[in-house]
Order: sequence, then structure tokens, then C-alpha cells
Amino acid sequence: MATEVKLPRLGQGMESGTIVKWLKSEGDSVEKGEPLYELDTDKVTQEVEAEASGVLLRIAIPEGEVEVGRTIAFIGVPGDQLPNKPAEEAPAAAAEAPKQEEKKEAPTQAAAPAQPAPSTNGSTTNGRIKASPLARRIARERGVELSQIRGTGPDGRIVAEDVERAEAQPPAAAPVAQAVPAGEVESRPLSNVRKTIARRLTHAWTVPAFQLTVDADMTRANELVARQRELYPDVRITVTDVLTKVCAQALMRHRDMNVQYAEDALLVFPNADVGIAVAAPQGLVVPVVRGAERLTIAQIAAVRADLVGRARESKLRANDLDGGTFTISNLGMYDVDQFIAVLNPPQASILAVGSTREQVVPVDGELLVLPLMTMTLTCDHRAVDGATGAEFLRSIKQFLEDPGLAL
Amino acid sequence: MPELSYREAVRDALSTAMRQDDDVFVMGEDIAEMGGSMGVTHGMLEEFGPERVRNTPISEMALAGTAIGAAMQGMRPVAEIMYEDFLTLAAEQVVNQAAKARYMSGGQLTVPVVFRTQGGAGWSPGAQHAQQLEAWFVHIPGLKVVFASTPEDVRGLLWSSIYDDNPVVFFEHRTLYGIKGNVPEKIEPIPIGKARIHREGEDVTVIATGRLVHESLRAAEEAEKEGISVEVVDPRTLQPLDEETLVTSVKKTNRAVVAHEAVTRMGFGSEVASVLQYQAFDWLDAPIERVGAKFAPLPFAPVMEQFVVPHAEDVLAAIKRTVQRGD
Repeated sequence: MATEVKLPRLGQGMESGTIVKWLKSEGDSVEKGEPLYELDTDKVTQEVEAEASGVLLRIAIPEGEVEVGRTIAFIGVPGDQLPNKPAEEAPAAAAEAPKQEEKKEAPTQAAAPAQPAPSTNGSTTNGRIKASPLARRIARERGVELSQIRGTGPDGRIVAEDVERAEAQPPAAAPVAQAVPAGEVESRPLSNVRKTIARRLTHAWTVPAFQLTVDADMTRANELVARQRELYPDVRITVTDVLTKVCAQALMRHRDMNVQYAEDALLVFPNADVGIAVAAPQGLVVPVVRGAERLTIAQIAAVRADLVGRARESKLRANDLDGGTFTISNLGMYDVDQFIAVLNPPQASILAVGSTREQVVPVDGELLVLPLMTMTLTCDHRAVDGATGAEFLRSIKQFLEDPGLAL
Repeated sequence: MPELSYREAVRDALSTAMRQDDDVFVMGEDIAEMGGSMGVTHGMLEEFGPERVRNTPISEMALAGTAIGAAMQGMRPVAEIMYEDFLTLAAEQVVNQAAKARYMSGGQLTVPVVFRTQGGAGWSPGAQHAQQLEAWFVHIPGLKVVFASTPEDVRGLLWSSIYDDNPVVFFEHRTLYGIKGNVPEKIEPIPIGKARIHREGEDVTVIATGRLVHESLRAAEEAEKEGISVEVVDPRTLQPLDEETLVTSVKKTNRAVVAHEAVTRMGFGSEVASVLQYQAFDWLDAPIERVGAKFAPLPFAPVMEQFVVPHAEDVLAAIKRTVQRGD
């Protein structure tokens, strides 16, 4: 008996995902644990591993958005009995007892008419048209082609009203694919990651926020980075790792900063789970270094290197991204002097870090040239007040300038 | 038209039948001096005496068996099972004897008995005293099952149950005893197997039983404010089921919600949904929604009890899902 490959739920709240491509073809043998296909969720694009060994007998859904739990492929041995392909079913199949696979699909999906539906139709999944039984009957009686109708019901299901509306209107001209002439605006469909960025940051914009900016003398922090590199030559330790550690220590000192505003309560977190903003090919992602207050700088560097590496290869898992309590966004490597970051909801604060540059600074009546780094802290004012944020930022500055104080 | 409470309506049916017919009598635990745990038989001992208003030992099996025996001998007993949860103790008699005797005797025996019982959440009776077990008995060929939701219905249907020659399991809901309603001057029997359309509507049919009839009527009023026209139908008798009225209604509205207080899983509503999808398949414009209690023993804590059982807002949410449009 073939094993059904079902779309997994990779994180809380995940309802669907988009299959980007299959890494195996039908007929290929597959080992349990081997990457099988690439999946785009609203958080990450990642490779999903096969949960069974055998031969990939059929790819039921080659690409596109699929709800969690849907059967997308079958793995087994050649000759295994597979449910009929829905597209091949004759209309009469509706009268037969429903087969295993069909039951798992939307129960209102009766067998589709035999003609193939255009893939642009929002109500079509893999050759089957989603339509309510009533919509089907009306369409049959009035000779309306369901494949030409866009459904407005849940999940794009065609409901009776859609058929009636379609009948009242002259059939729309079939969309013709047109080559985009040079110089014209190109319209790229949004990836799920892009959509999530847009939704979350638009939401962040509705949060009352304030910013605090400070310069830190990075002389001793740079010495610390150099010393750490000597001690741990196998790990590439960076300023970001020192910053992560310093922020984690500061969050533990200032518990009022390690919080989230939750409408009816303020959530205060026990650990400093520090998110690090990473520019990944598919867009901004923020993987989380968990319990950074308990990790050494070298340990943080190892975790960070793994996360950033996987982010760049689009191999982050959903749980790499869940549950940060604070975010660091460091654009220092791009020679940005300073900038203001947008909150990463539901977190209450985010630190925007610029480059370290030599500056002439008056110290005790003398002019010194010091490596200064400008940091801007953005806070959710519903959760945090200005003085709280200022004290927290002062601790970060002190710890960077005199790392011993972080002990 | 006089106004009676649901409790008085039950008592009126019992007393009127007992006045006109010596074969009718009631028996149960604490129903005589105490008047029953819900006060339904209050005052009947004084009028009819201990021969016809009989206290029984605390043994539902003996109580049910005695009533069945009396019914086989030509009486029309009405046995009160104090809480429907305790029907489990009488299940052998009800399921294996009462339901089977007419069939197995080739019609030589009839068992015109009524098992009156009550249940449901409200007032924190706890997990063993608040279940809604009607679905168990709808599953048994040979039993009729009634679940009335208004004073008028409970009186007319109890009357018909007493005079039906088959065993009837007659469910009442605890929180309904106090509700009042107009009833006909003289008892008008309501035929077993006839649904009641409480409210006519165009967009969705809510098929509800017991307490949920009232919750559904409230939900329908709320839906009306949002422009959704809701038809509310109470089957009243669960077995036999008035499939024709239900199917006709759904063919008109094209959408259906089934609602009861019993847990959704394997509930009576699931059977109704099955009947509808088969008989009205080509008229359905949305999946049939089910409303019922969460799959959990009923908690004792009042807030948790109310969390587990469905209310008007749950029915309203289901109504909205049936008319929902995609994003």
C-alpha cells in the first residue's frame, strides 16, 4: 500500500503552503529523510524531507498553493494501487462510494466535468473544479460552463450566486498571454514571504513607537572580538555576536524590556530570544538565537552562522523563526551610518545598528579618534516607556564600552 | 389561550390522561411526596393517590422493567428516569426488552410505555447528571424518541406518546422547565413524526432540538440584523424523523446548520446532515454546519460548563459560515 505524502503543518498557524518545485521526479526512488520538494510558507521557503522510503509513484500536486493535510504525492513500490487521478474520473464516479483520497478533499467537490479547466481559474485544483452541488445543478440546467467562472465561496468554491451572475453577463474574453514589451512595468506575483513582510510591517506601522539613538565607543568591543577569534579560530565571531550577547545580558537586567504587549496583558519573557535580521534571497527573515543570555559568544556565533547560512539557502524551518523577544538589525557591513528599524511585531523593541567609523571625539579636553557605532532603538510605546528604553540602551552602550560590566 | 410553563405543561398532559383513563399511571424515584426532582409531578399524589403515583426504589433497571411489564399487560405507564444519564442503568430493559418485544412476539405484545427523562447543562449538575444522550436511543429500531422544546409541544407530544402503542423515550431539557408559552385550552395531540417550523427564512435552515431551538431563534434574530434570513425548524420527534419537512426547507434555503446541545461527534445532527446531503445534494450551496458541545465530559465549574456547551453565538457563527464568501 502506497504511503500518502501530505502537506505538513510546519508551524503554528500554518494553514497552507505553496509547493515551489519537486526535487524528485515520478519514478525516482526516495530515501526517508531525503529532501523531496521545496515548500514556500508564509515564513520561509524550505526543503521538506520524505517521510517514507520507496519510489515516488505519483506527484498529485506539481506546484501551487495547497492546504495543510492534503495528499500531494504517493510513495510506495511500483504496482501499488493508487486512488484514481481525480482528473481522470468520469462524472459517473460521483455516484460510487467515495474513495479514501476523495474523502479527505473538500467534501463538496463532486467529480468534475471531463473537460480540463484552465489553470488560471481560482476554483480549480489539479483539474477539479470546486463548486457546490447547487451551483453544479444550475450550471448543468442552464448550460453554463463552470470552468469559465471564478468562485467567490470559501477557498474559491463556485456557489450558486456565481453561476447566476455568470449567466447574466456575456462570457468574458479568454485571457490571452501577452509578451511584456521592453520598458513596460513588470508585475511579479508576491511570494508568501513578501506577503508576510508586507502584512506584518504594515501592522507594525500602526503601533505607537519611539526611537532612541546612542553612540558607543567600540574600542574594547573590537578587542573582545579579536580575542575571541584568537581563542576560537574555528568559529567566525563578529560584532553581531558580541552585540547579541550584550543585548541578551541587558534584556536580563532590564526585564521590563523583554516583553510583549498583548491587548489585555503584558507578557514578560524569562529568556532573551534574540532575533537577527537576515537579508535572504527571498526577502527579510529573522531567525532566533534562543536563550542567548546562557550562551557564550562563541556559541552564539556558531548558532548565528548556522541560521544565517540556512537563511541564505532558503533552508530555515518554521521553528527557527518563531518566538523571538527582541531583534537586532545590523546594516553596519553596508556602510550605513545609522538608520531606524521598523518594529518586528509582536516584539516590543528592535535595535538598528550602523557601521563603526573613526570619529574625532573630545574626551576630557583632548581630541581623540575613536571607533564609534551608532545604534537606534525602536520601542513599542504601549509596552515600554522612554525612560525604560533609555536605561536599557545605556546598559548596551556600557557593556560594549566596558564588557566586564556585562558580567 | 392559557399560558403554562413547560413544567406545568408536562404535568397537565400526565394529569389529564390519568383523569380520563385508569390505565395511565406514573412511577419513578421521589415522584410522589417530593413531586420529582424537577417538581414535575408536584401535587399529583394528592389527586391520584399512591396506587397511580408510585415511588420506586433507586433502581432504574427495576423501574423500567416494571413499567414494561405493566405495559405488556395493557397499562399505559409513564416511568420517570430522574436524569437521562441514569438511562444507562435501564438500558437493558429499554433497548433489549421494550424495543424488541413487539417484533420478537410477532406483534402479539405491544409495549405502550413512556420513559420520561430530563437532562442537559445548566446549574452545574456535573459530568454524570447533565448529558444529552438522545442519539443513543435514536439508534435503536423499535423505540420512538421525542425531544420537545416548548410548553405547547411538550404537552401535545407527551399526550401522543402516552397513547402510542410503542415505547417512547421522551426527553425534556432541564433549563426549559421554567419557560412559559401559550397552549390550546384543550389538549391537542401533536402527531409523532412531525417537525415544527418556528420561523421562516430564505437563506439558511437551522435544524435544532431542545434548548438549542431557543438559542437558534436568538441567533436567527441576530443574523436578521445582518441581512441573513434564517429558517428555524425543530424536528420535535427524532425517531421517526420528519425528513420531508427538513429536506423541503433546505431545498428552499440551500444551506443548513444542525444544532443540539449533545456533543457534535456522532450526534443526532450528524444523522440529519446525512439525510440532507443525500436527499438535497443538488440543492446545497455550502457544506452543512454542525453545532454541538465540545467533545468533553461536562465540567462542574459553571464557566467551563458554559464553555463546553453551544450557545446562540455558536449557531450564529455557523450560520455565517454557510453564507460566507472567500476573501
